Amino acid sequence: MSTAVSISGVTKRFADHVAVDSISFEVPRGVVYGVLGPNGAGKSTTLRMINDIIAPDGGTIRILDTLAPGRDAAPKIGYLPEERGLYPKMRVAEMIAFMGELRGMSARDAKARAGAWLERLGLSKWARNKVQDLSKGMQQKVQFAACAIHDPELLILDEPWSGLDPINAEVLRDVVAEQKKAGRTILFSTHQMEQAEKICDEVCIIARGKKVLEGGLVELKRAAQKDGLVAIGFADDQARAKAAAVIADRSIVAAERPPRHGDTADMEVELAPGATVDGLLAALVGAGASVRRFEVVVPTLHQIFVDRVGAENAIVAERSPS
Amino acid sequence: MTGWLVIAKREFLERVRTKWFAITTAIGPIFMIALLVVPVLLARLGGTTKLAVVDHSGQMADSLRRTLPASDWEITIRTDDPTEASLLAEIRDKKIDGFLVIPKDALEQGEIVYQGDNATAQVPMAKLQFAVMISRMGAIKHLSPEDIAKLLSVNFSTKHTTGEAASASGGATFALGYIVMFILYLAIVLYGVNVMRSVVTEKTSRVVELMIAATKPRALMLGKIVGVGAVGVVQILAWFAMAIALIVFREPILGLFGLHGGINLPPLSMTDGVVILVDFVLGYFFYASLYAAVGAMVSSDQEAQQAQTPITMLLVLTIICVQLVANDPRATGPAILTLVPFSSPILMPMRWLLGGATGMDVALSFSILAASTWLVAMASARIFRVGILMYGKRPSMRELGRWLRYR
Repeated sequence: MSTAVSISGVTKRFADHVAVDSISFEVPRGVVYGVLGPNGAGKSTTLRMINDIIAPDGGTIRILDTLAPGRDAAPKIGYLPEERGLYPKMRVAEMIAFMGELRGMSARDAKARAGAWLERLGLSKWARNKVQDLSKGMQQKVQFAACAIHDPELLILDEPWSGLDPINAEVLRDVVAEQKKAGRTILFSTHQMEQAEKICDEVCIIARGKKVLEGGLVELKRAAQKDGLVAIGFADDQARAKAAAVIADRSIVAAERPPRHGDTADMEVELAPGATVDGLLAALVGAGASVRRFEVVVPTLHQIFVDRVGAENAIVAERSPS
Repeated sequence: MTGWLVIAKREFLERVRTKWFAITTAIGPIFMIALLVVPVLLARLGGTTKLAVVDHSGQMADSLRRTLPASDWEITIRTDDPTEASLLAEIRDKKIDGFLVIPKDALEQGEIVYQGDNATAQVPMAKLQFAVMISRMGAIKHLSPEDIAKLLSVNFSTKHTTGEAASASGGATFALGYIVMFILYLAIVLYGVNVMRSVVTEKTSRVVELMIAATKPRALMLGKIVGVGAVGVVQILAWFAMAIALIVFREPILGLFGLHGGINLPPLSMTDGVVILVDFVLGYFFYASLYAAVGAMVSSDQEAQQAQTPITMLLVLTIICVQLVANDPRATGPAILTLVPFSSPILMPMRWLLGGATGMDVALSFSILAASTWLVAMASARIFRVGILMYGKRPSMRELGRWLRYR
């Protein structure tokens, strides 16, 4: 199989702590791959090593099957660092073109592509302005253009949603989807599970420098779903009263709990061992309880994350002082 | 194009297009015009000195009055035999600037004393001493001051030559050496600090991670030094071109200020130009590497101001030593100073222009400077590589040592 990024046994130690501890994962070509984890998990460090900003202490990294991080790989990678930055006094179009040239484009190509990107992002009339004249949202777009101008096969985005408002977050998701459609591979990191859930094909969850979980988003969800949790919304109080006997039947329902915050269901029930979703629905219908909502609850990525990493780890944002 | 070239191109273009560049390029010649005009202007300014002469010998006062030009000296010959205390009081009351007391035995070895509030002024005192000498000589030999002036007016001048080019006046060569030294110093400081600021901007604007992902730290450092240096070369060439034009059109320019005369600068030979340019390029690389390393160590402009002190010290030390080279470019001190890498790029062109150095001296100086520039650049690149990605506390000397040893 052809991989966009392959990491095996990569370790990075800083003065007094291990930031990345023997992590391995493979990013197939053409997928949107999320490296997820709480702050301080080692996500940025991993991405920086792929970009040859820092060197690993151990393990190997291969980009597009054969390339080591560095000079040969650089023209094929687009990188959006977590620390966003542009030259404040540079003209917008020149800034974008400059990054293209730095990634190996000719000056003429870079100039043409910068213009095309600006048009696409609706910033054409700002092309000759200085970067510092732009709003923060516009600068984010310029940043993205600067990272993708050379049409890289691999886009690496470090916490791309941090600091984006919902509208720009949407724009970014669209651009990512578009890049995927064009056959590019997108590797990104985030601690925002909702964002990851919307665009990821595959994920790798890391915590405290170690890999916790890896796989396709759908498979992971399916695997986490088997316990059988059903959200039920009743038509009215009458229906709810009629359903009471079914809900109390411990051969069908193992446990009952109130709905999640903001959910429109009336309750969530956990199926008893041996009971089926069909059986529960049949029993409810049989009892004459009219149902307006009946849904097998699919765990969110966040839930999977919390389950696997542990609630404590998920919140921990401590980076040991270095 | 390779990374460092792309970076150099950006640094160059971004600077050349700024107002800052236009202004400093324009200020250079204004400065040079000032250099040309101000001394002539100042020489004409110096006010008159009110001088009281008490001549107990009775043979010198009149001659003194005829020797010292009335435009500079307002002389009163006092016959009322004032006491020293009363003369001092007159100085305090600003009635006179000073007084000269000539004793009875002045024509033998009696001490002639001047006291005044301008006794530390070198040029007027030299003129006064000269006038006293002429007057005394005239009194002894019974000659009029005019006769003595005639006797003294020898047409003598110093011509500086290394035995090669046509000789120029000694004073003018000295002035040229000084100007070249000063331009080199100014350019190295100006552009070295510019490199440092450029590196700091890289960090404060947080653009550095983007750059390091696309290219190597070494390419970033090299690109910055070359790009900013190219601006320097362009500017210096512009300054020299303007300086040559100024020298050629010296008379008309001075005429605009209603002056004439001034310093007559000798022409620069091709070899001189090469020495100056090589020393600028190497010296600039030497100092710019150091400045780049300092820029990489700090996180803000303010911090950079403090952290650059050691480099500033090297430059100040060099400037303090300029006088040594100026006084005797052939002496051992200047010979050493033009071999030491931190002072040689600024002092060598001066010493060369003043004829204190042979071709061999220059070659040796260049070799040492080139080798140490390479070493400094390598060490700075290592510090740069680690420092450029660090934020927060400035590294201690021990940490710097560790950075140097990193793989």
